[in-house]
Amino acid sequence: MELSDANLQTLTEYLKKTLDPDPAIRRPAEKFLESVEGSQNYPLLLLTLLEKSQENVIKVCASVTFKNYIKRNWRIVEDEPNKICESDRIAIKANIVPLMLSSPEQIQKQLSDAISIIGREDFPQKWPDLLTEMVNRFQSGDFHVINGVLRTAHSLFKRYRHEFKSNELWSEIKLVLDAFALPLTNLFKATIELCSTHANDASALKVLFSSLILIAKLFYSLNFQDLPEFFEDNMETWMTNFHSLLTLDNKLLQTDDEEEAGLLELLKSQICDNAALYAQKYDEEFQPYLPRFVTAIWNLLVTTGQEVKYDLLVSNAIQFLASVCERPHYKHLFEDQNTLTSICEKVIVPNMEFRAADEEAFEDNSEEYIRRDLEGSDIDTRRRAACDLVRGLCKFFEGPVTGIFSGYVNSMLQEYAKNPSVNWKHKDAAIYLVTSLASKAQTQKHGITQANELVNLTEFFVNHIQPDLKSASVNEFPVLKADGIKYIMIFRNQVPKEQLLVSIPLLINHLQAESIVVHTYAAHALERLFTMRGTNNTTLITAAEMAPFVEVLLTNLFKALTLPGSSENEYIMKAIMRSFSLLQESIIPYIPSVITQLTQKLLAVSKNPSKPHFNHYMFESICLSIRITCKANPDAVGSFEEALFMVFTEILQNDVQEFIPYVFQVMSLLLEMHKNEIPSSYMALFPHLLQPVLWERTGNIPPLVRLLQAYLERGANTIASAAADKIPGLLGVFQKLIASKANDHQGFYLLNSIIEHMPPGSVDQYRKQIFILLFQRLQNSKTTKFIKSFLVFINLYCIKYGALALQEIFDSIQPKMFGMVLEKIIIPEIQKVSGQVEKKICAVGITKILTECPPMMDTEYTKLWTPLLQALIGLFELPEDDTIPDEEHFIDIEDTPGYQTAFSQLAFAGKKEHDPVGQMVNNPRIHLAQSLHKLSTACPGRVPSMLSTSLNAEALQYLQGYLQAASVTLL
Amino acid sequence: NEHSERMKKFKNKGKDIAALRRQRMEVSIELRKAKKDEQIQKRRNISMDKSLTPAEDEANEIQLSLEKIVECVNGSNPELQLLATQATRKLLSRQKNPPVNEVIKLGIIPRLVEFLTYEDNAPLQFEAAWALTNIASGTSEHTRAVVEGGAVPPFISLLSSPHMHVSEQSVWALGNIAGDGPLYRDVLIKCKVLPPLLALVEDLTPPLFQVGFLRNITWTLSNLCRNKNPYPALEAVKTMLPVLSCLLVHEDKEIVSDACWAISYLTDSSNDRIQIVVDTGILPRLVELMGSPDLVVMTPALRAVGNVVTGTDEQTQAALDAGLLGVLPRLLQHPKPTIQKEAAWALSNVAAGPCHQIQQLITSGLLSSLMEVLDKGDFKAQKEGVWAVANFTTGGTVEQVVKLIQAGILKPLLNLLLAKDSKIVLIILDTISNFFLVAEKLGERERFCLLVEELGGLEKIEALQTHDNNMVYRAALNIIEKYFSTE
Repeated sequence: MELSDANLQTLTEYLKKTLDPDPAIRRPAEKFLESVEGSQNYPLLLLTLLEKSQENVIKVCASVTFKNYIKRNWRIVEDEPNKICESDRIAIKANIVPLMLSSPEQIQKQLSDAISIIGREDFPQKWPDLLTEMVNRFQSGDFHVINGVLRTAHSLFKRYRHEFKSNELWSEIKLVLDAFALPLTNLFKATIELCSTHANDASALKVLFSSLILIAKLFYSLNFQDLPEFFEDNMETWMTNFHSLLTLDNKLLQTDDEEEAGLLELLKSQICDNAALYAQKYDEEFQPYLPRFVTAIWNLLVTTGQEVKYDLLVSNAIQFLASVCERPHYKHLFEDQNTLTSICEKVIVPNMEFRAADEEAFEDNSEEYIRRDLEGSDIDTRRRAACDLVRGLCKFFEGPVTGIFSGYVNSMLQEYAKNPSVNWKHKDAAIYLVTSLASKAQTQKHGITQANELVNLTEFFVNHIQPDLKSASVNEFPVLKADGIKYIMIFRNQVPKEQLLVSIPLLINHLQAESIVVHTYAAHALERLFTMRGTNNTTLITAAEMAPFVEVLLTNLFKALTLPGSSENEYIMKAIMRSFSLLQESIIPYIPSVITQLTQKLLAVSKNPSKPHFNHYMFESICLSIRITCKANPDAVGSFEEALFMVFTEILQNDVQEFIPYVFQVMSLLLEMHKNEIPSSYMALFPHLLQPVLWERTGNIPPLVRLLQAYLERGANTIASAAADKIPGLLGVFQKLIASKANDHQGFYLLNSIIEHMPPGSVDQYRKQIFILLFQRLQNSKTTKFIKSFLVFINLYCIKYGALALQEIFDSIQPKMFGMVLEKIIIPEIQKVSGQVEKKICAVGITKILTECPPMMDTEYTKLWTPLLQALIGLFELPEDDTIPDEEHFIDIEDTPGYQTAFSQLAFAGKKEHDPVGQMVNNPRIHLAQSLHKLSTACPGRVPSMLSTSLNAEALQYLQGYLQAASVTLL
Repeated sequence: NEHSERMKKFKNKGKDIAALRRQRMEVSIELRKAKKDEQIQKRRNISMDKSLTPAEDEANEIQLSLEKIVECVNGSNPELQLLATQATRKLLSRQKNPPVNEVIKLGIIPRLVEFLTYEDNAPLQFEAAWALTNIASGTSEHTRAVVEGGAVPPFISLLSSPHMHVSEQSVWALGNIAGDGPLYRDVLIKCKVLPPLLALVEDLTPPLFQVGFLRNITWTLSNLCRNKNPYPALEAVKTMLPVLSCLLVHEDKEIVSDACWAISYLTDSSNDRIQIVVDTGILPRLVELMGSPDLVVMTPALRAVGNVVTGTDEQTQAALDAGLLGVLPRLLQHPKPTIQKEAAWALSNVAAGPCHQIQQLITSGLLSSLMEVLDKGDFKAQKEGVWAVANFTTGGTVEQVVKLIQAGILKPLLNLLLAKDSKIVLIILDTISNFFLVAEKLGERERFCLLVEELGGLEKIEALQTHDNNMVYRAALNIIEKYFSTE
């Protein structure tokens, strides 16, 4: 594409069309742009447009298109063509900085992003003059330009905050420091001066403070990895100015907005972060400044209001104090009783209060409220920060702090008692203080596991918590109800069991509360109580104790799902699952109604699955219903199939991706419940399961393999007789899986089931091909994981078809191949096999090779006999070799079994471990001894002589132990 | 035998011991200020010791212009030569901004070098040596000017000068040249600097003893041991070691300090070189010096021993046998952060050893010290402490790891998940995985999950799932999915 007016015109037309709401116009335009983006000059045309177009909308559109183009194409990927020609790259780098700086803010942001994407690839080596070009602009005096530079620098440097130390990274930082640190410091000083000369000019101040925020952020990035020499030398300048900025206030910068943090708050908040960074990492150098910052930040906290816009600032500031107060050499800054009292009164208590914003969230945004309050995703909230500060202070001052707060709790409870309907927030604060202060160690599963002496927890429970929950109306003072329920949840390990049993009907009752928070908390509390462990590792609360409440519990739980706002409430669904699991067979009478409600729910949510946890627990509940019922009455499986298959079919037909892995798991569970030959309804589905499209989604692979294994286990004969034409399809699946490093173990699961269950005749014709495929993969990419699976497979094959058959099939592929496999794979790698069953399979297989394979005794393979025996003894006696070659470490996380984000395994659809040699061989060591004995009787003298010539002494000793244990001798 | 070889291999899960033991300096680029507690590489002689220069009198000092200096130095009048050389030396000895570059530009260095050989004019030799010493004390460029002026051979000859102050000044000059780097250090060694230098140590016995002189010699020796890429020749090292061992027991702490520095350079190297030092049997003395109340002695002694424990298991054992674990606890609580850090680093390398050495850590009561470091130490020391725990959990037996948990290590370790350092966070996450493997072996997985959650670890690991560093976030995710995902 030439840089011509005509092309600019064309591009303008198409860009305009990409903004059209009508997809019929928009899509072709997008396609067109994609088709020409490989052409030379395309990016330069975009840059021309975003600079010179007459229409603002085209300018913006061109800038966005440009940034996306850079994002997709700038990186040069090895083995892939370079998507942007060199001259365009050079031209872009030469022009983009000035262009960015002269553009209006909207476009500036896009170009700044583009610069940082390019910078990530090219800076510093391939873009050496970027820094000087940027730094030179600091002198322009134009803060629009300066902020553009600072923003770009921030996006270039912020990665220093999280990357690992390396020579490459540090050379880059050094380069940046050399060019940037001094100008940045000068700019910092100049900006602060300008702030005082423009102290009365609101619009100037806004621009200047935006610069200061960016400068403070850059300070954080540049100081993150280590304390640079320059900043150590200039600490006085930076810290003195940071300190005075912390104490600065200017009416002109205060905002009316209650929610959104203003510039002043953002700046101070970043300064708190910077001070915290220095306090943590560079304590030695920062020590002289620290007390000043403690005082300033403390004053800041005392004078900052309750508005939401201050939240980040306040929580950062409190976190700073919290991290400092637990350091031994700063203990003295907090020691004084007056100081402690004042921190408690003025910093901690005010920030624990239930604010209007909390009340609003409680009512209107309960999901968010619950997430913060219950799941601890409140890391940035004031309450949380206040709690952390309390915990920090308790490290050295537990006694005094507890004393101060006990007084507070009592006075607040008295206030409440005077007039509950007005003063209920005082009680809320009191409960919050108790729950946060009394808890030193808290877990989701067990609640508080250690408490301090602030209050008597049981007394408090009986006197202040239960009365609220016993009140006639479940809807009165919802916040206090939620507090009370939370109290039960948190202190469930401290409160005696009798009290918990008294609470259970109260909790069940609160499932009916209108407030989402209240009924959610009730469900959650029940769920938590039901998981508590008593003695002997049984549940603390037994099914018998729950007997009187089964019906009302189930009714209220399912009714709670119909309350407004809770139709997909994961806490309720989890409580349902947990109730089933606890109550076991006492739910059977209610199953017909339960399963109807669950299938209806399933049908409803499958239209638009949006709550993964809810869905997960729903499927778990379905599995539990099936298990519990079929355990008592195996024939009931049919009625479940009847109830579920219609919905399942719909899910499969509509391709509801989120649910398909679950459906396969439930089907596997159902199929495994059948004792007889596979029902025809399943066989009808069989061909569909082999469709390649299903196998393209990684999340489907584990449950589908599992399902096919169930088919093979229950219906191998039926497949062989009625669906033999599908066997190539089945092997096709195997072939696809085996080719992938991530999924090869799944391929082996399938292959092992085929070998184990299919009648030999039905797979005869494919056997050699299978081995060839395995060898090809071995040659192309040999990984430890593959080897491990491969070893298990060949030994299983040996067990099933005999050692001779194994030797013959290898040697039919290529002469002497069997010897090579023994020497290069089995003997050196067998120690890597992991898993009890897997090791047993290998032991039995190798025993067969040693004792039932004539070529091992009288061909050139004989020299491998003792090494193989020694390897087998090693497998028995040596620890597993879990080393992984260096180059494979990277597949460690991604590709090992068990790690599959897209696959959600259902615990209650779990597969029992299957041991294919279970009945045949009990103790593989004894089995080896007996087999050797048999071999030695067949050819007397041979075995002892082979042993004595080359088996090492230690192995021989072990072997003698086996022979003794089996009471046999070798002839 | 083969079996134990194999067991050894398994014990550390295939991780090479060398990878666990961490040598000094992982990154060669520094952002920090050069460390203040390092030994000085080059020194200028700015002291005015009147007794050594009787010819001189402050009152009738003559100020010479640079032109005049050149003229006199190149002239043949011995008095003027002395006067000009002295004037040059004084310029170079002034407290602030000595005009080194200007003097070099005068082109008089070869002439000053020539003066070194004027055996019958000791005062001139002395003044020239001093001037050259101060030139060599500058940048590499400055040192090069002296060396290329041919100063090395005459300086080495002057070591044997009958005039003690000339000999001492030569020692100083050679120290500066050696301190420039491996290249000139090896030039000196090749020019046979060692025999006369070491002979001086022997000569310096009472009544001839002068503490300042011996300090200079020790310092120069330390520079001859200093620097890597390449290391000093093995032969030279072997010649110096016996003398250094003697210097280590001297009563002057500066001499002991520099001798320790020398040893610390020799041990900051490959295992075979560490072995040569270990073989001299000085480890017990070094460990004793680690306990010295003087920072100047404690610092290099700690470094030297710290380097030894980066070596083989046997070398580490030698340090343990010398009593290392007895002195470490105090150093781990030292008020100076760098001492804490070095001590914790040494500890981490002991923890990288085989389990019988780990057992020694336990029986010597080091676990509570380690706990303290993690809980209250300086950040740099905390980082080393994290490595120590990581190594411990990689190489320790199940029982030993249990001891570590019982010592209360988990709480401060989990707190450090908030550290502003991605690498340390990742190592802690890996360590937590190691703890889980042990817990699983004991069938205590549930209890361990509980413990991690109680100590506030779970919420921190959860928060790390949004970390910007890919490996950190994956490791966190992996732990959550493996051990904490819902049922």
